[in-house]
Amino acid sequence: MPEDCIISTTDLNLWYHEKHALQSVSIRIPRNRVTALIGPSGCGKSTLLRCFNRLNDLIDHVKITGTVTLDGNDILAPGTDVVTLRKKIGMVFQKPNPFPKSIWENVAYGPKVHGVKDKGELDRIVEESLRHAALWDEVKDRLNDSALGLSGGQQQRLCIARTLAVEPEVILMDEPCSALDPIATAKIENLIEMLKQEYTVIIVTHNMQQAARVSDYTGFMYLGKLVECGKTVQIFEHPAEELTENYITGRFG
Amino acid sequence: MIVKTTDQYRGTLAISAGHARYSLVKEKSIKTVLFFTAFFAVIVVTFILLFLLRDGLPIFVQAGPISFIFGPDWAPTSVEPLYGIFPLIAGTLLVTFGAMVFAVPLSICCAIYIAELASPRMKNILKPAIELLAGIPSVVYGFFGLIVLTGFIRVTFDLPTGETWLAASVLLGIMALPTIVSVSEDAISAVPREYKEGSLAIGATRWQTISRVLVPAALSGIAAAIILGIGRAVGETMAVMMVAGNAAIIPDPVWNILSPLRTLTGTLGIEMGEVPIGSAHYNALFGVAVVLLVITLVINLSAVAILRWLREGRKGGTARRPFSSPQTRETFVRVAGMLLFALLLVIFVAAAPWWLLPMLLLAGGTWYAGRPYLSENTVQRIAFSFITAATLAVLAILVIILQDIIINGLPAISWEFLTRPPLDSGRAGGIYPAIIGTLYLVAGAIAIALPLGVGAAIYLVEYTREGRLTQLIRTGIDLLNGTPSIVFGLFGFAFIVLYLGAGVSMLAGQMTLALMVLPTMIRTTEEALKSIPMALREGSLALGATKWQTISRVVLPPAVPGIVTGAILSIGRAAGETAPIMFTAVVFSSRFLPDSVLDPVMALPYHLFILATNVPGASANQYGTALVLLMLVVGFYAIAIAARTHFQKKMRA
Repeated sequence: MPEDCIISTTDLNLWYHEKHALQSVSIRIPRNRVTALIGPSGCGKSTLLRCFNRLNDLIDHVKITGTVTLDGNDILAPGTDVVTLRKKIGMVFQKPNPFPKSIWENVAYGPKVHGVKDKGELDRIVEESLRHAALWDEVKDRLNDSALGLSGGQQQRLCIARTLAVEPEVILMDEPCSALDPIATAKIENLIEMLKQEYTVIIVTHNMQQAARVSDYTGFMYLGKLVECGKTVQIFEHPAEELTENYITGRFG
Repeated sequence: MIVKTTDQYRGTLAISAGHARYSLVKEKSIKTVLFFTAFFAVIVVTFILLFLLRDGLPIFVQAGPISFIFGPDWAPTSVEPLYGIFPLIAGTLLVTFGAMVFAVPLSICCAIYIAELASPRMKNILKPAIELLAGIPSVVYGFFGLIVLTGFIRVTFDLPTGETWLAASVLLGIMALPTIVSVSEDAISAVPREYKEGSLAIGATRWQTISRVLVPAALSGIAAAIILGIGRAVGETMAVMMVAGNAAIIPDPVWNILSPLRTLTGTLGIEMGEVPIGSAHYNALFGVAVVLLVITLVINLSAVAILRWLREGRKGGTARRPFSSPQTRETFVRVAGMLLFALLLVIFVAAAPWWLLPMLLLAGGTWYAGRPYLSENTVQRIAFSFITAATLAVLAILVIILQDIIINGLPAISWEFLTRPPLDSGRAGGIYPAIIGTLYLVAGAIAIALPLGVGAAIYLVEYTREGRLTQLIRTGIDLLNGTPSIVFGLFGFAFIVLYLGAGVSMLAGQMTLALMVLPTMIRTTEEALKSIPMALREGSLALGATKWQTISRVVLPPAVPGIVTGAILSIGRAAGETAPIMFTAVVFSSRFLPDSVLDPVMALPYHLFILATNVPGASANQYGTALVLLMLVVGFYAIAIAARTHFQKKMRA
């Protein structure tokens, strides 16, 4: 890949209990592009995503070898400050997970834990983040209502706004549309299109059309291995591997 | 479209990265503090063991372990004192056995009814009723037993006194009912739906499904429930002491349920208050406590082990063996059969009217002869009517106890009764100092137990991975939970009152009660924390929040209702306990309120105990005190239950 790359992994292996969930994965994620990870369920794409912000730390019995670098620094090194790391690398989850707080509190949470106390400043961040997540017009009159009252799609955009509010460089999205209806999905996809001008987006999806629509680069994973990775156009039209072609054309099983 | 940030904001975010080192120190120290709150349970258990052994070992040396445990005579105050606790051990075992004979069939029927037969509305009546039964303080049970149950037994069997093994067993059985019912009901309800549907789908009746699929599948859970019930019965002090007659003899013949007897706990409750500190008798009582503690620990740990094995198995998913092998099932059936046989035997030898035997033989004969001709539907009808009758009996017990205390207690209650100090040894006057004393005691206890319990639970749920250390801490909490309340009383006396020099004081009582409710506090908080979805923690951590920020801002706020419920339950429990404060904090009569935490106080449960056992002619005030205590405790439980349902509904909405 010729482009400037922000995250790269070298020979990354991950075991969960006895299961070898990632097998020497080496991938380079280009800056300010959308990279999609596709593959059948259980192939390790979400696990790979969670290596980038070290969220796998929360899970028992995980063993990792290899390196993951962000701007050239190894983030798996023991001295890494995961708090700072996760501020740089935001994440949107499969199921919307707004906190049981007000809409305003949800978005302001991130800046607050990073030390922003000024109410005016927080108000401004909340508004800009919500605007940026294309949610402002729908919620501006009820910022103090509980976030749990929003629809699924709105909740997911709120989670995106919440992520934007801490100004990450990279946004990880773990099947962000799998719990949403087609209209909400379309809104999120448009949003991703806009986000890539400013952020690096890595999206895990098992919807191949979605990968084709939103991404610049695509990696195909199968049984814990990265089979192939390249420009989306190339992967979908001229895959190098037969396995990839079978998966993309639906001849699989 | 870019989020434009002012320089100020950028500056703050940049600084917070620089603050990493500082916040790391803060995170570490918080973790350390929480670790110590969790480890506290282990420390307390160690201290309990140490202090009981310190004062109890001399008697094992002096009298010899064999003659102490198997000696046939307990006469510590005679001219030539004898310290043989065998009659006490036998008394404990016999009373517990009798209680189980009474409680197990009733409880299992009641559990089946709640889990499988009850309509939702009936469930909404039965479950709080069972919880209410669990909430009645043991001294109130003892009072009811002393006044009503022993009277009934005395008249029915034409005895000089009704204070007998039978009375103690029935009363303990009632007290063990709620534990057995609720744990068994959980076990039955937890049987996967598919089993039930599978059985019904091949045309089995509901009763066949219950008796051949659901109950066998839930058998280990039911066994654990019974063991927990046994633990409750073995450790109970006040109620047993008030109705068992307390003669340190082995019934003659050994199945004579109309003989009085004395338990280990009863011995401690009666004699601890009057024994010279440091004497051989004093050491012997601590020896009794050691034996009691060992028995209850073995019982409780085995129940915990079974329940934990069940829970882990269920989490593990598919490949686990069925709940019970055919052998264990067979053993279980055999044991149940023996219990039933024992029940019948005991009834006949001791007390049955002459016509009962032929009647039962006739019924059994008819059943055996008629069984092949009965349709499955008829069998089901018979079985269901037995189960329903048992459930109604449990409800009736609750109603009888409540109505006796309410009807007799209400006339005694007046403004003066609630606001005046007692006169004439409590026969006249009021119970104001006792009410206030009890409130002081529970307020202090919860003030100590709440931070410790919440801290320990946070540590266990949020900070540790399951390992040897958590195992140790959990075992410590389980042990603390299984320790009988009278043992807490002895420990409080030996450690806080004497060793720390707090004297018989409110503070000593508060600390002792706090230790006793600590396991409840930890467990309910743990449940509350575990019910917060992992996704919320991940969401917060993914935004770069630190662990403590995540816990304090995202996890704890929605867990507060659960924690508060646990705290109120603990308050209710502490308010009704007598044994832990009997030697550490209370005086019987005091016209004044305590001036400081180092003064002794009056307390409702102890006041009721003394009025009921030591003050003749205080009948009206006994019932008044019992009613106030009952209202207070039940009030706390009602608030807790209401709060829980309210928040559950809110969560679902």
